[in-house]
Amino acid sequence: MKLLTANRLTDGLVLWYSGSGWVEDAALAARLEDDAAEALKAEWVARETEVVAPYLIPVTDAGDPVQREHVREFVRANGPTIGQTTFDTAKQFNRDEVF
Amino acid sequence: MYVYDQFDHALVRERNAEFSDQVARRLSGELSEDQFKPLRLMNGLYLQLHAYMLRIAIPYGVLSSVQMRRFAHIARTYDRDFGHFTTRQNLQFNWIKLADTPKILEELAEVEMHAMQTSGNCIRNTTTDQFAGAAKDELDDPRPWAELIRQWSTIHPEFTFLPRKFKIAITGATKDRAAIRVHDIGLHLTPKGFDVYVGGGMGRTPHLGHLIKSGVPGEKLLSYLEACLRVYNRYGRRDNIYKARIKILVSALGPDEYARQVEEEWAQLDQAAIDAPYYEIDRIRTFFPDPAYADKAFDAAALDRAKAADPGFARWVRNNTHPHKRDDHVSVTISTKPVGLPPGDASSAQMDVMADVADSFAYSELRVAHDQNIILPHVAKADLYDLYQQLDRVNLSTANAKKITDIIACPGLDYCSLANARSIPLSQEISKKFSDANLTDEIGELEIKISGCINACGHHHVGHIGILGVDKQGIEVYQIMLGGRADEKAALGVITGKGLSAEAVPGALERVVRLYLQLRTSPAERFIDVVERLGRETFAEALHEPA
Repeated sequence: MKLLTANRLTDGLVLWYSGSGWVEDAALAARLEDDAAEALKAEWVARETEVVAPYLIPVTDAGDPVQREHVREFVRANGPTIGQTTFDTAKQFNRDEVF
Repeated sequence: MYVYDQFDHALVRERNAEFSDQVARRLSGELSEDQFKPLRLMNGLYLQLHAYMLRIAIPYGVLSSVQMRRFAHIARTYDRDFGHFTTRQNLQFNWIKLADTPKILEELAEVEMHAMQTSGNCIRNTTTDQFAGAAKDELDDPRPWAELIRQWSTIHPEFTFLPRKFKIAITGATKDRAAIRVHDIGLHLTPKGFDVYVGGGMGRTPHLGHLIKSGVPGEKLLSYLEACLRVYNRYGRRDNIYKARIKILVSALGPDEYARQVEEEWAQLDQAAIDAPYYEIDRIRTFFPDPAYADKAFDAAALDRAKAADPGFARWVRNNTHPHKRDDHVSVTISTKPVGLPPGDASSAQMDVMADVADSFAYSELRVAHDQNIILPHVAKADLYDLYQQLDRVNLSTANAKKITDIIACPGLDYCSLANARSIPLSQEISKKFSDANLTDEIGELEIKISGCINACGHHHVGHIGILGVDKQGIEVYQIMLGGRADEKAALGVITGKGLSAEAVPGALERVVRLYLQLRTSPAERFIDVVERLGRETFAEALHEPA
């Protein structure tokens, strides 16, 4: 299973594919079958007036990024772990940290 | 400080108009990301982990109060209310919108700033001594020469697409506070001209620069630099990004052969067409006069009374002031590193206060130091207590310059898309471990430098204690290096002991420091002195928990 993520062209913010479109909240990211994920990624690579640099994140059965991707994706999904923007992304959606 | 002339204004205006058009074409889809990426990078705009990051050039770290106030405005208006000062003496905003960048660049141009050449394989911001023009040990002011290099290197047609990025540092003092030996070119201004060091650098394969020529006259500096760059541009490795820096070329050829080729190139160059004439160098010097020093009556007894009444102030005077060429002035280090907070970050409110105190007490001038602190280069001793109190109100009075909590840390994996590990959280934990100011004073000078990847933006190779974050199968692991230093006795640290988890590092450093306190012969013997006297291995065992 994989998650599809990218950055929005206009402001660079991190986006997650929810199954029906892009959302900013990683908690809503859809777990995609590998083949479907690859096809979606290929589709969105071409639609670069909307998103930049889409890529896939392998996830465990529990839906968390596999160990190798974990820290990076944890930070992307929840915001920096430091300073005045600590977990800004998680706070924005009034949720606990995901991943 | 330097004031833009009509050519500077026209260049920045034209470049901004060009980039504004490029942004519009990217947003409309006329430009692809592959086409746009090199264009945005040439204007300092990166796409990082969370958003676009805009890196703004602060030429040789010199900043006016007006410019600092403009940074505060940009932080408030376009970012999340703060900015991050870097080891290249620049400023980064971490949450910038692509569509806002033309407007931001326009606002920067109004105060004679831009973001050109803060990325890409070109000559980057020349850095220098943060106490330039003020330090007691200075032989000559490096700022006019740094400005000359800025003018020569800005959009230099031959050096815009070098094999790799290129960094120059220059110092004019006996103490090297500009880390010249770990730059592609390091310049040491002496009474006989420039000593030129080439081939230094950090990153994946660190090297110390080699002295390839002494006594290059100032009026020949540009043509000699041009010869250095030409040899590099011709023979630097473009086939392998990891071997593309000049340090690899100099190492492969040998410093003597590289120097010979530079001499050969220099001899055949049309030097007169490249070098700045005397009158131009003199004209640039006029932009860097001493300030109109205020003859304020200095009451040493009053300063002593204030120190006695306020131990925090006494500590700050002791640690955060630097000798000035005038006895009635000092240079002040404003630490951006309060215990437990990210090194180099400043909020818009703090930036405004720094601009205000620069106007009130420092002739409206500030500097960004490569250790990520802010400097007020000229402050009358009579004003110190008033200055301290104003800084203290916004958490800018931490008295830790050059102490163990004055940590350099790159943004690391919290912001940077290249990083393998986080560096700032570790710096926060280390500073909490050493939060007792009496202990940090007892320890004395000790420089910790942390990078979150091998690119070494946190200068870990030249930390007395250097820390490199690496990724081991998804786990952040930190390698500890001991014995590095970036000063006039520059040395590269060596990995000592096994890598440690983030949780283990603060305790390991505490054991190392306790051992140092036992081993030193006197408080004057610094940590780095003991490492050099007894060897790094003396501390290897202390890095690990006793079994």
